[in-house]
Amino acid sequence: MEFIDYYKILDITKSASQNDIKKAYRKLARKYHPDLNPNNKEAEKKFKEINEANEVLSDPEKRKKYDKYGKDWKHAEAFEQANQQQGQRQSQTGQRYQSGEYAGEDFSDFFESMFGGASGAGYRQAKFRGQDLQAELHLKLSDVYKTQKQTLTINGKNIRLTFPAGIENGQVIKINGHGTAGVNGGPNGDLYITFSIKNDTKFKRDGSNLHLTVDLDVYTALLGGEILVDTFDGKVKLKVAPETQPGTKVKLKGKGFPVYKKENSFGDLYITYQIKLPTNLSQEEKDLVVKLKKIRENGKS
Amino acid sequence: MEKASLIRVEHICECHHIEISFINSLVDFGLIEVIISENDQYIPEYQLNDVEKMIRLHHELNINIEGIDTIYNLLKRITYLEEELNSAKNKLKEFDIE
Repeated sequence: MEFIDYYKILDITKSASQNDIKKAYRKLARKYHPDLNPNNKEAEKKFKEINEANEVLSDPEKRKKYDKYGKDWKHAEAFEQANQQQGQRQSQTGQRYQSGEYAGEDFSDFFESMFGGASGAGYRQAKFRGQDLQAELHLKLSDVYKTQKQTLTINGKNIRLTFPAGIENGQVIKINGHGTAGVNGGPNGDLYITFSIKNDTKFKRDGSNLHLTVDLDVYTALLGGEILVDTFDGKVKLKVAPETQPGTKVKLKGKGFPVYKKENSFGDLYITYQIKLPTNLSQEEKDLVVKLKKIRENGKS
Repeated sequence: MEKASLIRVEHICECHHIEISFINSLVDFGLIEVIISENDQYIPEYQLNDVEKMIRLHHELNINIEGIDTIYNLLKRITYLEEELNSAKNKLKEFDIE
């Protein structure tokens, strides 16, 4: 357990007045308040640190003890015993923020060791919102094509959730009230689920649009014809225009991925043709290609 | 009217020790909506998280209503940009562009 320099955390000197502490604390709290930094673990950590620093330095009793023992905090116990006669805290600490993201009771080991916990008489009554929970859910792309009903076990509790089709990789959804239980009647925290979606298909996804490269034999490309193309939910027959060039793109409207939270609305499927040239030509084929080449050259001249 | 998903504004004010004028100001700024039924004001449950967040910003950070309005607009913009960034990242990953 390491000594924590509360003055350094609040960026103030040891001679700072109560007003200086209040000002420094408010400035930092505005910067790192979890309501202003959603899903930012670094800010949450920093916010906890400045809250703890303020808890100590804004309370004259605690500050006195901290200043007296400081780095020598392990001997603070003797001080504690000597002062036990004084009973309850003599003064009310300064304002302490109870952010929605911050359970409030979460102090460092250093603090707990020196002051024996956060809660003086004044805080026992305080309501704290429960902490938010973060979870990651791994799904396959083919799973999120349709609306999913899943039962998740969070903190030993089974929660039945419905995830609308079309969720994106990396998307975060908030489930209200399914975080840690509140303290002293405070509201529960929320549950944040981050989706990690692995593409298990041959389609490339761009939001609700899908992309697929389809091989086309040279004869169909030249003469045109019909091919069967895979879509996400089956096959479709597609007409290929004569003299189709490599890289030609065809849009199949409404054959893409479901649009998130828009029922019966789908993106488009873009087919890119890749012309496959034949290999291992027979002598007869080679002769015909040569003939074709000559016809082409003569036609041009 | 179905009131199961509505919370009385008075009750919220009592719980959070705030004046009803604060809620009225949030309504005036278009930050929240209240439903009036039989002379009582109600907040739909889905707005409760936002209302509580606004109360915290006001009380804990001394931010006035104009400031809350600005913060909310910026937070919305951050959310939008984060979604755009995520979508662009996915696109780069899908099309093997690093």
